[in-house]
This record gives sequence, C-alpha cells and structure tokens, in this order.
Amino acid sequence: MDLVRDVLDKQLVDREGEELGRVDGVILEIRPDGPPRVEAFELGFVVLARRIHPRVESWLERLRARWSVRKTARYRIPWATVQEIRESEIQVDVRAQETPAYDWEIWLRRNVIRHLPGGGE
Amino acid sequence: MKKWMQLALGVLTGVGGFFDIGNLATSAQAGASFRFQLLWSLLLATVLVIFLVEMSGRYAAVSGKALPDAIRERFGFKFWAGPFLILSFIHVLVLGAEIGGICFALHLVTGLPVPLLAPVVGILVWLLLWRTTFSTLENSTSVLGFLTLAFVVAVVVHHPPLREVAAGMVPSLPHHHPAQYWYIAVSIVGAVLAPYLFYFYSSGAVEDRWDKGYVGVNRGISVIGMGFGSLIAVAAVIVAAVVLAPRGIRVDDYHQAALMLTDAFPFWGFVLFAVAMGVACLGAAVEVGLSMAYATAQTFGWTWGEDLEPREDARFCLVYTAAILISTLIILFGVDPFKLTLLTMVISAAALPFVAIPFLLLMNDRKTLREHTNGWISNTVTVLVVLLSVVLAAVSVPLTLIGGS
Repeated sequence: MDLVRDVLDKQLVDREGEELGRVDGVILEIRPDGPPRVEAFELGFVVLARRIHPRVESWLERLRARWSVRKTARYRIPWATVQEIRESEIQVDVRAQETPAYDWEIWLRRNVIRHLPGGGE
Repeated sequence: MKKWMQLALGVLTGVGGFFDIGNLATSAQAGASFRFQLLWSLLLATVLVIFLVEMSGRYAAVSGKALPDAIRERFGFKFWAGPFLILSFIHVLVLGAEIGGICFALHLVTGLPVPLLAPVVGILVWLLLWRTTFSTLENSTSVLGFLTLAFVVAVVVHHPPLREVAAGMVPSLPHHHPAQYWYIAVSIVGAVLAPYLFYFYSSGAVEDRWDKGYVGVNRGISVIGMGFGSLIAVAAVIVAAVVLAPRGIRVDDYHQAALMLTDAFPFWGFVLFAVAMGVACLGAAVEVGLSMAYATAQTFGWTWGEDLEPREDARFCLVYTAAILISTLIILFGVDPFKLTLLTMVISAAALPFVAIPFLLLMNDRKTLREHTNGWISNTVTVLVVLLSVVLAAVSVPLTLIGGS
C-alpha cells in the first residue's frame, strides 16, 4: 500500500457509513527497531493549511483560536480504529457525531439551520 | 425504461448548464454582429462538451464518485486547493450572472428595476434548493426547459437562408472586426464549457445512484442533453442573425437581445423571450448553486446531498446559501448583468485548464475504471480540449481588452 496514493486525502466514513471528513494528514511513528508505523490519521483545516504553507497554518491557527467552535484544531483518529480500507473510502470504528469533525455541523444545525423555515426537526 | 427517465438529468444539465445566460448573451452577440459566421465555434464547443460530460458521467457511474471528490483523492489537497478557490470564485460570479438574468427577465415583464428584483429572485432560488429534492428539481426544470424551444420555433417561422447557415458551420476568417470576432468565438467556447457543468452532472449521477449499468445510458444522455442545449443556442444565433443583424442592432445589453423574438411572435415575442430567459437562468442558477455546494462538501469530505433534509447536511446547505447571498448582493448593488456575464465567460475560459487537465488523468486511471477507461477517440478529444484550454487561457484576457469593447 502506498500511503500518499491510497490513504492521504481519502474519504473517511464512520461505523454507520456517515461521512466523517478526509484524511488530511497522516501521523507516523518513528521506531528505533523497525520501519515507521502509521499511528493515526489527522483531520482539520489547520492540518490542510500546513500542506499549503506553514505560514497559512499559523494564520489559520490564530483565526481558529478566536472564532472556531471546534474543540481541537487537529483531530486524530488512531489507526487501530480502522475497520476496512475500500477502494473509495476508509471505514473507521467511531461515531461521526461524537467527533470534533462534526462540531461545525452540529453548531450550524443548532444555531443557524434550526431557525430557518423548514430546517427544524 | 427507468434508466431512460434519467434523461431528465441530461436535459436539466442541457438547459441549465448549456443554454444559460452566457450562451444567450454570446449567441445574441454572435448572430447580431457576424450573422451565421460563428456557428462553427458553437458546434466545436458542442462536440467537446458532449465528450467531457460523457466522461464525467462515466467516471461517476463506474467509481461512484463525482469529479471534485475524485480530484481531491487522486491529486491531493495541495494541487486542488488553488483551482478549488478560483473555481469557487467563478461559481459566485456565474451565479450572480444567472440571478441577474432572472431579474432582467422579470424586469422585461414588470418594468421594475433589476437591482430591486434581486432579493426576490435570490430568495426564490434559495427556497428551491432548500425545500425540494433532487428529482423534483431535475424533472421540473426539464419540463420548463422546453419553453426555450421558442427560439427553434422562431427559426422555423423566419425561413433563414439555409445555404448561408450551413456555410457558417465551417470555420472562416472574419471580413470585419477580427478582434471582436475572435473574442466572441472564445466567449462562446467559455460559455459552453462551463466548469460547473461537469461537477454538477457527475454529482447528479451520484445523487441518482448510477452504477456501471448506466454507462450506455450516460452516453445517450450526454448526446441528447447537450444536443438539446446546443440546438437552442444555434437557434438563438440564427434568430439574432435574421432579426437583429439586418437592422444594424449590436447587442451590448440584454434590452437589444430581448427584441429577438418580436418578429416571429409579434404580440407575445417580448414575454416569450422573458420566459425563456427566466427559465434557462433559473435552471442554471439552481445548478451553479448546487455545484458549488457539491464541490465544497466533497473537497472536505462532508455529508452532502440535495435529497437530505437541511438539518442532515447543514454545511452543504450553508455553502449554497452563502453563494446565493453574495451573488444576490452583487446584483443588488447595481452591477450590470450583461457586463457581469461577459466578464465571467472570459474568466471561465481562462480557468479551463484546471477543469480539462484532471480529466485526462482521471479517465485513464485503469485501476478505478478498468474496461471503461478512455479509448483513443476520447483521449484525442481530451488532449484537444487541454490544448485549446491553454490557448484560450492565454488569449482570453488580451482579446477582452481589444475586442471586448
């Protein structure tokens, strides 16, 4: 398996098949007695920004600290939770609704969508 | 049979995506200034768009993935971030032009000023996306889209000189105003090969749950849907050539274009034009709004789908809501819809390489597409589109400066 080709940027779905985000970054563990091992996937706008330029990252980090509703800038999903790697997506054993990846979605539902006609329960 | 009901997706894409405000403006200009002589550029663009639409549908049917999804996955975020931002900017401009077009159509009927109508139209477009499902949208727009056949009826009424029309289908050098001639030719290609068309169509195929069994149907839909759009655009050029050109009317505003149908339909022509324009722009506005939301949600891996309730995909809905809001403000603040349309066509043409190049690589990905990988004909056409897009990107800005005024 090729990490960049087969894992990075791939769609993530939770155990019920709900979209969770994409693999924005991969955390590797360097081991003294063997090849590096994939420790976790990393998700978040800040992670993406880093791939463009470190300066964009620090700028976005400041913006996030001030405005974001997300609890953490970087959200890690341990490699141990991977259930299946399919051709088009990776399924992980978590619940999307309970992860920081869904913070914005839930905030919008509660504070914006619900107040618009037809957006309620 | 059920599969062929999917023709609605093709006709929706054809009406909204092919024959939209950009085509109306460029067809009217081409016919009024150069009569039938620019028909060839419309035909060339039609052939290219049929191939590209077929490819985006085939990719979606085989892989279950729409284009923005596939591009982020295959090319990575770093490649896609720039084009994504530029294309989002273009989406907002195009949406502004379409909303402006609907406002202008209403202005023709009611006499109210265009900016004043913008909030009403913005809310109408938003409500359509907010409250309806994907299949309601595609079926209603397809049915309403047939009203644009008014242009074809007008062609029949006018008995245009067929030999001259046929001659226009072969490329030729202009007898006058060469800069304007090439400028309109570029705008026509930019108007037909609109980026949102492919994002919308492939996402629509995913919404309609296409699988490998749709590859053949997709081919038919691309030809018929795009062919339908092209037929209307060709008819608009011919009508403009027969009605506007002999009177020396140059189109630099939609008011002149609105005269097109008054000869064929003396009493109803004005209203008919307004209805056809309104319907085409409404279809396109819906499509551009959705395309923007599809592309954003897929880029970041969010939940998306027009069939979900807004509370189930809040971020997806927020994207089109914000896009509609900004586009409406552009028109509300008095930007002229015609000038906005022409500007958008040129920027679209300049951004074409970002749209065209991923096709070449995605469609030759044997691992995903297997036996449905591009053959040599499709690949030749794609290479042609890539080359053409690079040339267009290079010439569009200088041509606008010389030929646009």
